[in-house]
Amino acid sequence: MAFTIGNNFIERSITGAIAFLKESVFTDEYASRDGLMQSIDPRMKLVTSGMLLLTALLTKNIAVVLYIYSVSLIFTYLSKINIGFFLKRTWVFIPLFSLFIAVPALFNIFTPGEAIANFNIFGLHLIVTRPGLSGALLFVMRVITSVSIVVLLSITTRHSETLKALRLFKVPQIFVMIFGMCYRYIYLLIEAVENTYLAIRSRVGRQVHYKKGQQVVAWSMASLWQRSYRMNEEVYSAMLSRGYAGEPVVFNDFKTKPWDWMWLLLIIIICVIGVRFI
Amino acid sequence: MSDTIFQLKDVNYSYLGKFPALSHIDLTIEKARMVAVIGANGSGKSTLLQMLDGLIFPDSGTVTAFGTDINERTFADLSFSRNFRRKVGFVFQNPDVQLFCPTVKEDILFGPLQLKEDRAQTEKRLDRLVAILGLGALLDRSPHQLSVGEKRKVAIASTLIIDPEVIILDEPTAGLDPMTTRHIIDILKKENSLGKTVITSTHDLHIVEEISDMVCVFGNDKKIVRCGPSSEILKDTPLLQAHNLVHIHAHRHDGSTHVHPHDHPSHEHSH
Ligand SMILES: Nc1ncnc2c1ncn2[C@@H]1O[C@H](COP(=O)(O)OP(=O)(O)OP(=O)(O)O)[C@@H](O)[C@H]1O
Ligand SMILES: [Mg+2]
Repeated sequence: MAFTIGNNFIERSITGAIAFLKESVFTDEYASRDGLMQSIDPRMKLVTSGMLLLTALLTKNIAVVLYIYSVSLIFTYLSKINIGFFLKRTWVFIPLFSLFIAVPALFNIFTPGEAIANFNIFGLHLIVTRPGLSGALLFVMRVITSVSIVVLLSITTRHSETLKALRLFKVPQIFVMIFGMCYRYIYLLIEAVENTYLAIRSRVGRQVHYKKGQQVVAWSMASLWQRSYRMNEEVYSAMLSRGYAGEPVVFNDFKTKPWDWMWLLLIIIICVIGVRFI
Repeated sequence: MSDTIFQLKDVNYSYLGKFPALSHIDLTIEKARMVAVIGANGSGKSTLLQMLDGLIFPDSGTVTAFGTDINERTFADLSFSRNFRRKVGFVFQNPDVQLFCPTVKEDILFGPLQLKEDRAQTEKRLDRLVAILGLGALLDRSPHQLSVGEKRKVAIASTLIIDPEVIILDEPTAGLDPMTTRHIIDILKKENSLGKTVITSTHDLHIVEEISDMVCVFGNDKKIVRCGPSSEILKDTPLLQAHNLVHIHAHRHDGSTHVHPHDHPSHEHSH
């Protein structure tokens, strides 16, 4: 892999990030495992994920959110996804959100109420309030639950199926098609960046002088744009050549199995329990 | 007239008006022939094939297909263009541009769907092509994550599935292993024996003999220097050598190096 030959930190982390992106987003590794979520029709999965999401977002009761979160973790486990990996992937989003929304809400300035802790920071007297704390907790739990549901949905569904499912929900075909192509281009661009990088390394050897490196990178970016522009034109020709005449005709071969309907029922029950009994 | 598929008269074409790609091309392609277009890199092969597929149109000169002059205007007529697309299939040189659907299966079915072909018949052809090209395991994969050779096979399947009368292939065997190359040659020969016209561009002189009865050689000035029966042209080593199509072979016999042109028409040579 490219990043083993890299010798400086930034280089290593960029090539590492590219490889990670490729592996996590673009390979259907988890989607092709034989687990619970993978066995469900993508349309059903989209609908039921939406239901779980709504339940978690609309409730004011943290217990309900915790309940939905544990359900999603159980599903993760049953979908043969490593829980440690999953937690790492989902909790990374939390600090970002919390910093801006949840942390300020903790304090009396934003959420008045019974004081449970006092702080003195730079002469600023801050009091953590009980409603502030529970509000912040609720918020964090909601975020982590939503993120988990979305991540679970996306890593257990083949990209191509997600696109097809979108199409069935009356998202105009041309958008779905463009969306799919964008995805493909991003993939090709990532590959091109990687290959160009490898090509440069193999041509100039281990040590790339940084000035030289800059030039090479600028040049390859330019050629990349040109390439993708030309490719767009050619893809269009290829579509014409195969009879495309303005509005693409697409192929739907989804079939729901009894299991999909049972799944729908299960999720409805889970949501009702959450809303009614907790 | 009814036997002429394509006729080009004094065709010129340049990209963006400044990069010449075809110059004074005169060419007639008859029905049920197998035509190979050979020439060095950048000599205009792909440009010519794209023109035959009605994707680009000459700057000057005329292209006639199935007895009709073709240009932007004729293709604006939906029934003409649909009819043309059904009759002429094109395999691009770069399979990446030809494959743009989320899965291999959808990609193969793209053409028949656009052309509103009969569903049952399409399924039958799909099964046959999948069997011949060994694509069974790839159907649900994303086309862009396949190897170059696999992509090319998918691209070929996606063209053959509409069962076109004229099959145009731009370097169909580049990057394929010998076994797959063999399969593809066999498919093309079979299609030809059913009366299909097959037009191929290639650098691979090994396959020219098999996939053509007529060869057109492109010169470096974007002109066709010669068109003729394959047997004749493949024997014309000086011509081939002049256009980068034969390389000099060097090998060692008992310690002495021996050089001679790579002689393709007859596969044996004596030392
Ligand atoms: N999109 C383009 N823009 C500008 N010039 C182009 C473009 N495509 C091809 N050309 C030019 O047109 C000429 C003919 O190109 P063409 O692709 O037809 O060659 P080719 O014989 O197919 O070559 P190869 O064997 O490398 O595929 C070349 O000189 C090339 O530089
Ligand atoms: Mg070419």
